[in-house]
Amino acid sequence: MPKSGNFIRTIALLSLAAVLAIVAAGTAGATPAKKSGTTLSGAGSSFVAPLVAQWMAPIGSAYGYELQYNPIGSGGGVAAVTARSVDFGASDAPLTADQFSACKGCVQIPWALSATSIIYNLDGVKNLLHMDGPTLAKIYSGQITQWDDAAIKALNKSVNLPSTKIATVHRSDNSGTTYNFTDYLQTVSPAWKTQYGRGVAVNWPSGTGSRGSAGVAATVSQTPGGIGYVDVAYALKNHLKFFSMKNRSGKFATPGLKGILAAATSDQKPESTTNELSIVNPPKKYPLAYPISTYTYVIVPTSSPKAADLRKFLFWAVTKGQAFGPKLLFQPIPKPVLVVAEKTIAKIKS
Amino acid sequence: MASAELTPDAARRPLAGRRLRVGDLSLQLVAGTAAALATVLVGLIAWKVIDGARPALSHYGLGFVTRIAWNPDSRHELYGAGSFLFGTAVTSLLALLIAAPLALGIALYLTELAPRFLRAPVTALVETLAAIPSVVIGFWGILVLGPALRDHVEPALHSALGFIPLFGTPSQTGSSIFTAIIVLAIMILPIVSSISRELFLGVPRELKEGALALGTTRWEMVRGVVFPYARGGIVAALILGLGRAIGEAIAVTQVIGGGVFIHWNLFDGGDTLGSKIAASYQGATTKLQLGSLIYLALVLLVFSLVINAAAQWIVRRVARRQGTGLNRGGVG
Repeated sequence: MPKSGNFIRTIALLSLAAVLAIVAAGTAGATPAKKSGTTLSGAGSSFVAPLVAQWMAPIGSAYGYELQYNPIGSGGGVAAVTARSVDFGASDAPLTADQFSACKGCVQIPWALSATSIIYNLDGVKNLLHMDGPTLAKIYSGQITQWDDAAIKALNKSVNLPSTKIATVHRSDNSGTTYNFTDYLQTVSPAWKTQYGRGVAVNWPSGTGSRGSAGVAATVSQTPGGIGYVDVAYALKNHLKFFSMKNRSGKFATPGLKGILAAATSDQKPESTTNELSIVNPPKKYPLAYPISTYTYVIVPTSSPKAADLRKFLFWAVTKGQAFGPKLLFQPIPKPVLVVAEKTIAKIKS
Repeated sequence: MASAELTPDAARRPLAGRRLRVGDLSLQLVAGTAAALATVLVGLIAWKVIDGARPALSHYGLGFVTRIAWNPDSRHELYGAGSFLFGTAVTSLLALLIAAPLALGIALYLTELAPRFLRAPVTALVETLAAIPSVVIGFWGILVLGPALRDHVEPALHSALGFIPLFGTPSQTGSSIFTAIIVLAIMILPIVSSISRELFLGVPRELKEGALALGTTRWEMVRGVVFPYARGGIVAALILGLGRAIGEAIAVTQVIGGGVFIHWNLFDGGDTLGSKIAASYQGATTKLQLGSLIYLALVLLVFSLVINAAAQWIVRRVARRQGTGLNRGGVG
C-alpha cells in the first residue's frame, strides 16, 4: 500500500510540475516580446531559408528586430500565413486563386531570385552534361528510359554514355521547386502542358517520389542512373552533378548568377494583381539565360498589427538584403521588379 | 478470489459507514473527467474531419473511396482513395505478417530461453527501437535499407520467386512498397514484442513447471501452456501493431516512392492513406484538393475503426475459447 501511494503521489506531483512549467513557459514567452525589440516571425520556403538566415543579424542591428524563420516548405508557409500564425509566409510558387481568397487580403511580393538545378547520378561521366527541355520532358514522362538514348547522345557527342536505365525522382510533397520545374517543362513541351501541366505537385506519369529537397538528393545519390531537381544552392552545397541546360538561343547555360540575371531580364513586369513573374525558358535574345530560373515570394496580410515593422523589414529585404544573395546564388532582383515590390509593400497597413 | 477471506458484508459496510469518502469522490472525479475528455476529443476530431471533408464529400460522394486517381492539375482535377486504401492494406498487413513471428520469437527468447544476464539489456535495446523518431527511420530507409534491399534482397527474391507477381522487376531507386513494408515491420516489432514479453512473464510458473514435470519438451510447453494462456493478449498486441502500421505516415512517405496505381509488384512504388496526407496536406492548392485530403483522413479513420472492431471481435472469440484451450494444454 505505501508503495502504490508513493507512486500516485509521484505521478500527481509530476503532472502538477508539468502544468506549472507550461504556464511558466507561456508567461515567460510573452514578456520578452514586449520588453525587447519586435519579433517578426515567418515560415515557408526552404529554398529562400539560407538567405533569410543571413538577414537575421543585420536586421537585428539595423532596427532591433528579432527575425525568426521556420523553413517548413512553401506549402506550409502559405498555410501558416493564411492562419495568421506567422507575420509573413514565403513561397517559391505564386499563390493560386483559391489560396489568395483563403488568405483574405494577402499580397505577394517577389523578394528573391534563383534557379532550379537538374541533378544526376551517373558514374564515370563528367559534371555539366548537356540537356535540353524537350528531352527532359520526355525523360520525365517516361518516353526516354536509357542514358544512351539517341536524344541524349546527340546533345553530348563527345561523351561515352552508358546504357544505364534512367530513374526519375520528383518531390512527393507540395513544393515550389516542383512548380518551377513543371512550369519550365510545360513551356518547352506542348505534350507536357496538355497532359500534366504545372503546379506544386502534378500527376507524375512515372518515377519515384521523395520527400523534400533532402529526400530527392538522397534518393538520386543512392540511385545509379538517377535524375532529380533541387534548388541550385542545395546542389552546390552537396556537391551533386547537374546539367548545363540548352536555352532558346541554342547556348548551354549553367544555373549561376549570370544565367539567372539574364533570365530575370527577360520579364520585369509582374502581373498587375498577383505580382507573379515567370522567367522560365526566356526568348532567344538572352543567350546567357539559364532557362529554369525563378522568383520566390513573400506573402503578407495587407492588414497586420505589426504593419510598420513589416514594411521596414521588407523594404530592407528587397534593397540592402539583396546584397547577401550572390554568395548563396541568389541574384539581386532587378530595378523594375524592385519598384513594384516597394509599391506593394506600401499597401501593408495596420 | 482474495475477497473470499472476508464475507462481502463485513468487507464493505463498516468502511462505507464510517469514513468520509473524499478519496472515492476525487477518484471518481479525476478518472471520470479523463474518460470524458478522451471521448469528447475523439468526437471533436471525428466531427472536424467530417466537416473538413465536406467539399469533397458533397462533390464526389462514396465513389471517392474506390476511385483510383489523384490529379492535382486544376484543369482536370480528380481525386480518389482507391490506390491509397490498397497501399495501406498491403503495407500494414504484410508488415504485420513479417513482424509477428519475429516479435513472438524475441519475446519467447527473452522470457524462456535467453541466459539471465542477457535478458535486461536485450529487452532495453528492443524497446529503444520504439523510441526512434519515424523521420529518422525514414532517412535510414532511404540511405541504407532501401539500397541494400534493392541490391541484395529484391534481385534474389525476383530470380527465385519471380513467377509470383508480387516479386516483379526489382526497383532502381530502393524506394518501393517492399521497403515501406520492412520499415513498418521494424517499427511495430518493439510494440508487439514488449507486450508479448509481459504476457509471457504473466504465465503462472506452476503451469509451466507442471508441464515440464510431465515430461514435455520446452517447445511443447510453450505451445501447450504459454501460447494458449497468452493467446487473447497476443491478438491484442498484434492489433496494436497493425494500428501503428496503418497510421504511420512520415517514414512511409520517405521510402514508398509514390504513384497512383494498383499493381502487385512489391518492388514498385505506391502510397498509403497516411503517406499521401502527410505529403500533400501542407500547401494544398484548391478547396477540392484540401477537402479530398481530409476525406482521405476520414477513410483512414473508418478503416482503423473497422479493423479495431474486427480485432475486438476476434479477441473476444479467442478469449472464449481460451479456457478450453488452456485445459487441453494443461492436460496434454
